Amino acid sequence: MTQRQKDFPALCERLEPRCREIIAQYEQSRSALLPLIHLFQEHEGFVSMEAMGAVSEILDLSPAVVESTVSFYTLFFRKPIGKYMLQVCRGLACTLNGAENIMAYFREKLGIGHLQTTDDGLFSYEEVECLAACDRASCMQVNLEFVYDLTPRMIDEMLDAMRAGTYAVAALPQTERPSSTWAVNQDGQVALGDKSFGAQDQSDPNNAGGLDRDGIIMLDRILADEMRFRGRTRELLATANPAIKEVVEE
Amino acid sequence: MPVVKVLTAGIGEANLRDIGVYRERGGYKQFERALRTMSSKDVLDVTERAGLRGRGGAGFPTAKKWSFLPGKAEVRYLACNCDEAEPGTFKDRMLLEEAPHLVLEGMLIGAYAIGCHHAYIYIRGEFKRGYAVFMDALSQARRAGMVGSDLFGTGYDLDVTLHRGAGAYICGEETAMLNSIEGKRGEPRLKPPFPAVQGLYGAPTVVNNVETLAYLVPLLEKGAEWFASVGTERSKGYKIVSISGHVRKPGNYEVPLGTPVRELIELAGGLRPGRKLMAVQPGGGSSACIFEEQLDLPYDYESMQKAGSMLGSGAVVVMDDTTDFVRAAFNLVRFFAHESCGQCTPCREGGDWLERVLHRLVEGRGLQTDLDMLMKVSHEITGLNLCPLGDSIEPFLASVLKRFPEQFEARVLGRKPAPAATA
Repeated sequence: MTQRQKDFPALCERLEPRCREIIAQYEQSRSALLPLIHLFQEHEGFVSMEAMGAVSEILDLSPAVVESTVSFYTLFFRKPIGKYMLQVCRGLACTLNGAENIMAYFREKLGIGHLQTTDDGLFSYEEVECLAACDRASCMQVNLEFVYDLTPRMIDEMLDAMRAGTYAVAALPQTERPSSTWAVNQDGQVALGDKSFGAQDQSDPNNAGGLDRDGIIMLDRILADEMRFRGRTRELLATANPAIKEVVEE
Repeated sequence: MPVVKVLTAGIGEANLRDIGVYRERGGYKQFERALRTMSSKDVLDVTERAGLRGRGGAGFPTAKKWSFLPGKAEVRYLACNCDEAEPGTFKDRMLLEEAPHLVLEGMLIGAYAIGCHHAYIYIRGEFKRGYAVFMDALSQARRAGMVGSDLFGTGYDLDVTLHRGAGAYICGEETAMLNSIEGKRGEPRLKPPFPAVQGLYGAPTVVNNVETLAYLVPLLEKGAEWFASVGTERSKGYKIVSISGHVRKPGNYEVPLGTPVRELIELAGGLRPGRKLMAVQPGGGSSACIFEEQLDLPYDYESMQKAGSMLGSGAVVVMDDTTDFVRAAFNLVRFFAHESCGQCTPCREGGDWLERVLHRLVEGRGLQTDLDMLMKVSHEITGLNLCPLGDSIEPFLASVLKRFPEQFEARVLGRKPAPAATA
């Protein structure tokens, strides 16, 4: 049992009055699901299995319902993350203003990529969709606080300050040591990227928009199969009933 | 230059987050006046005569939306949509952070207009600061007797609940938002029934955008005629336009609807020196591009629709001749593929296919058949989904593919790289 798990009952007790307050704001208690998960994440740094279990008990929902809902939202982290969550905007307006250089700089400086956490557990890095600060491109959020008009120099200073513990934005609570990524797949196992990275996998045979192992575009292959199938149908029909042979051949 | 200050009045000059400052400037007077001297029907009439249309994207007439609620006195809800995530849009976040009391007063007036006693505001999960600012504004307003029971001694009760999202663009779709408020996955619902009949907790519900509701305040103050006197025949009043991309002074500009697109770009400082305009996306990530020859069109709902695009949320993204349109198309398609909730197959699979095809084009590994495939697949996604997200994939992609086919063709495997954009 980890220290976090040992501390969990006490945390629940401490948060209970706040949970009641939140539930009272809504006509139906299930509405409190998102705010309660937010609350637990604020204290634990991520959404633990214990937290989802507690919320399911408080709201009288099945744990599966809670986990299904939590998994829908990208700001709920189901694995521990770094103390500084660096979310760089990859939206169109930022990209038009050099966000790709900013992202490349972050990747190089941190030595990690999209959806990954540094070995020291200090930084998690994610490239996120439009943050609604297009007038101050390139922008990002550090633990959900905005940073605007990014330059490489600002990034250097920011990372140094975070390492020295002097950065203006408070570090996130970290109750468990993070692994290399917090993205989990359907089996609850750690996945190395999200689906937007599938684009690099050009040889996935199930990818109808892409290439198969032979380098043949899948749509063409499907059409070719269809033609073969049609030919086979003609043959079968002709064998079964020679009388329709002529009709088929037409 | 046609810049006006209606909703944006005082922003950057006064601390409008303080209820004292807001009230000194006439704040909450319109809500009080509505409660004391106007019936719900009166507020609806003013809004109808003003011709106010939704500022969130669809541009639906606000009074008409309200009038769809069944007439009988029963439980009904107002949900204010502050899940602003349309690529290029940043007006609601500004209002939320800089003028929270204006947003709240607009919500209160809107709630009163439909006879609602419990209003919700859905704030995008990323807007941590906006959430804190609005939470503070709400408690100030509660202490000042603007929110609560028996308001101004009229016997009218009205409570407001803040609901914070957790990172999902789709929750900006109204029925997905209602599911999210109900504590469910943010998946859009099948319509009908529309929210006006069966919305939050199964009760009649109106979902209005932040900016739409905020305009109710000046509208009541200055009257329907004042609002209807600007704009075009069917697009009345003012609009905050978020201008970004390749302009020198990106930002939020409040203008009368019908201002020519060219003037909007000039307002935002114009292009960088020596650059040539290639395309403008006039209504956020979901809209098709318009081009140089269409810049004199008035920026209103009808003209943008006639030009094959839309005004949408009012996000104008300007692209000059340094733009790589294959990358831009990849960027937006990836966005929609990432944000698809996955309920409808055309949107879920189609978006993913397109993203993969565009990715190999970006890398210069495209196939001869890819251009046709992009057109075909994006067109076949359109119109087959529960909500407009899937239909939002085609417009930008198709418009730039038709306009700049050479940029896409140059990325087919074995072709020479496209000549670099000239200054």
